[in-house]
Amino acid sequence: MNTAENSVTAGTDLQQLLQIGQRRLSGGVGWLADARRRGAEQLASMQLPDRKQEAWRYTPVSFLDQTRYEAIVDGRFEALRLDDIEDLLLEQRDAVRLVFVNGYFAPALSSLASDHAGVTLTTLSGALGDVPAQIRARLDRIAEYRHVFAALNSALMSDGACILVSSGAQVQVPIEVLHVSVGLEEPGISHPRHLVVLEDGASARLIERYCSLGDAVYFNNAMVEVELGAGSELVHERLQEESGNAQHLSDLQVRLDERSRYRLVQATLGGAWSRSDIRIVFEGEGAEAELDGLMLAHDKQLNDVHLDVRHNVPNCTSRESFRGILDGKGRVVFDGRIVVERDAQQTDAMLSNHNLMLSRSAEVDTKPQLEIYADDVKCSHGTTVGELDHDMLFYLRSRGVPEAQAKRMLCEGFAQEVLDRMESPALRDRVGRHLASRLTTTV
Amino acid sequence: MLTIKNLKAQVEGKEILQGLNLEVGPGEVHAVMGPNGSGKSTLAHVLAGRDGYQVTDGEVIFDGESLIELEPEERAARGIYLAFQYPVELPGVNNTHFLKEALNAQRKARGEAELDSVAFLKLIREKMKLVSMQPELLKRQVNVGFSGGEKKRNEILQMALFEPRLSILDETDSGLDIDALRTVSNGVNALRSPDRSVILVTHYQRLLDYIEPDYVHVLAGGRIVRSGDKTLAKELEHKGYGWLTGKDEAA
Repeated sequence: MNTAENSVTAGTDLQQLLQIGQRRLSGGVGWLADARRRGAEQLASMQLPDRKQEAWRYTPVSFLDQTRYEAIVDGRFEALRLDDIEDLLLEQRDAVRLVFVNGYFAPALSSLASDHAGVTLTTLSGALGDVPAQIRARLDRIAEYRHVFAALNSALMSDGACILVSSGAQVQVPIEVLHVSVGLEEPGISHPRHLVVLEDGASARLIERYCSLGDAVYFNNAMVEVELGAGSELVHERLQEESGNAQHLSDLQVRLDERSRYRLVQATLGGAWSRSDIRIVFEGEGAEAELDGLMLAHDKQLNDVHLDVRHNVPNCTSRESFRGILDGKGRVVFDGRIVVERDAQQTDAMLSNHNLMLSRSAEVDTKPQLEIYADDVKCSHGTTVGELDHDMLFYLRSRGVPEAQAKRMLCEGFAQEVLDRMESPALRDRVGRHLASRLTTTV
Repeated sequence: MLTIKNLKAQVEGKEILQGLNLEVGPGEVHAVMGPNGSGKSTLAHVLAGRDGYQVTDGEVIFDGESLIELEPEERAARGIYLAFQYPVELPGVNNTHFLKEALNAQRKARGEAELDSVAFLKLIREKMKLVSMQPELLKRQVNVGFSGGEKKRNEILQMALFEPRLSILDETDSGLDIDALRTVSNGVNALRSPDRSVILVTHYQRLLDYIEPDYVHVLAGGRIVRSGDKTLAKELEHKGYGWLTGKDEAA
């Protein structure tokens, strides 16, 4: 394969990518056809984001001009064995684990052994049997294509986890969705698409992870839809540890019905370019959402989080708290938008974004936005950008801790508030270790 | 042990210490007293090596070695400890982790073996009894949400843990009620030994009722203007500082 030539030829043409992808998908799973068609139709009328669009002003997608990403064909990657991904696994017992390699379900690496009452696990491709009607009916139901990549995901989706937790089921064991990207001869683009449905009164824990073997170049264009029924509760933990040469886009859309609770803790640590679009829509009264995030932007890394929280109904609570650590020429983009509609009285919303700059060449573009159309609400936001505190540093050093170690301890302390929100000890340890190793090379 | 000769130091271009001399021998407790703004805290911070405190003249010799060029962590490893007037809160940093990292960093710098977690916990539990500290405080973030008394106990706990050869206690008595003052003082007294020295920086005589000094010095205008034994402190209590500094002070 002539990769050298590819790298100098023109970049990625999404329409062409779509056509090639569609040809391959023809004759695929029938029930996906509607969603794919909708994606393709919308894609036709959408442009690549540019800097004139506010939501993309600080997040250029110029990597598409530089690299030609090919749709990934063969999904099975059967040569990969459990031993190969051992370092990527969490040390936790009894967990349910669905592994996707380059966007495709890998049964041999997955662990579905333990049977859990009330949970139905299937995949879009049908590898785990028929997808239940409750899932089929909800695919692409709440998804809003706010950018061309979301439409592309719908148009070309071919695999992903479909998780249904039945009414009233209390699932204690975490359900893990693990993405592993391995380098291909040509840079590839994947479109994993997951759907998580909790029926009324159900509760569950979801761990969603992205990692890679080696420093492959690829573009992960993921989309996750979550629907929470009345009184249900989901704890959603996400860890993005993509390859340092990778592009990562994840579009997460969550719909909350009355009295449901959603807790998200995410750490976006890897990737050359990473963007999380998170849309939370309150559709029933008395629901709560808590979102916590840690963003790491090492030298030349771009880490973007865009929040769009929609309080459409009264009496809902949301709290959003995101922290960034930047070094070298790292860049953090944070856009936290909360919209409180006219009828959404008694809304309680609190948004914060704190950033720690370890270098003068790093850049933070942070924009909290509250749009409030109701008159009886409690909403606040706060944003800070700062360096390490000199008094704290001196205190540690006066206790014998060398300067570099003192800086690391303070950075870890800054991140700890997010880590403390994680429920899985194995995940928290992994994030802690990742952070510690990255800081060792930084400060 | 510690010899300070003609020490001059500036903070933000302003000369605070203006030729200070002090000699501290092994096992001695020296009280440095003086009115506000006399340079007491500056002296404490200069000894610990804080950035922004610029030594412009004079020398500070500790165990035969000049301190001025050393980094704060190097001074700590050599046995200098500063108990802060306002202990700093370290959000997100666990207290046990902090104490262990600090102790091991000092040991490592001295070429001693680092303590493993088990050995460390055994040691810290023993030291906590000395300052009557609640064990829960070990699990908390360093000084975050601690009461004034708890913060000061945490400072003395570190002193007990590090076993420094020279401890500088900067206004450790400020903000303490009588019970906390007694506990903190007992902790300091328990650490007195023929080869450990203490400099007590304080505004008030009260602390000296609990920790009896060998020498008392009065600092004014960046210099030591009077030295004596503990009776000098009593005299100051009656007369105030005005008779030494030439200024009226309503202390």
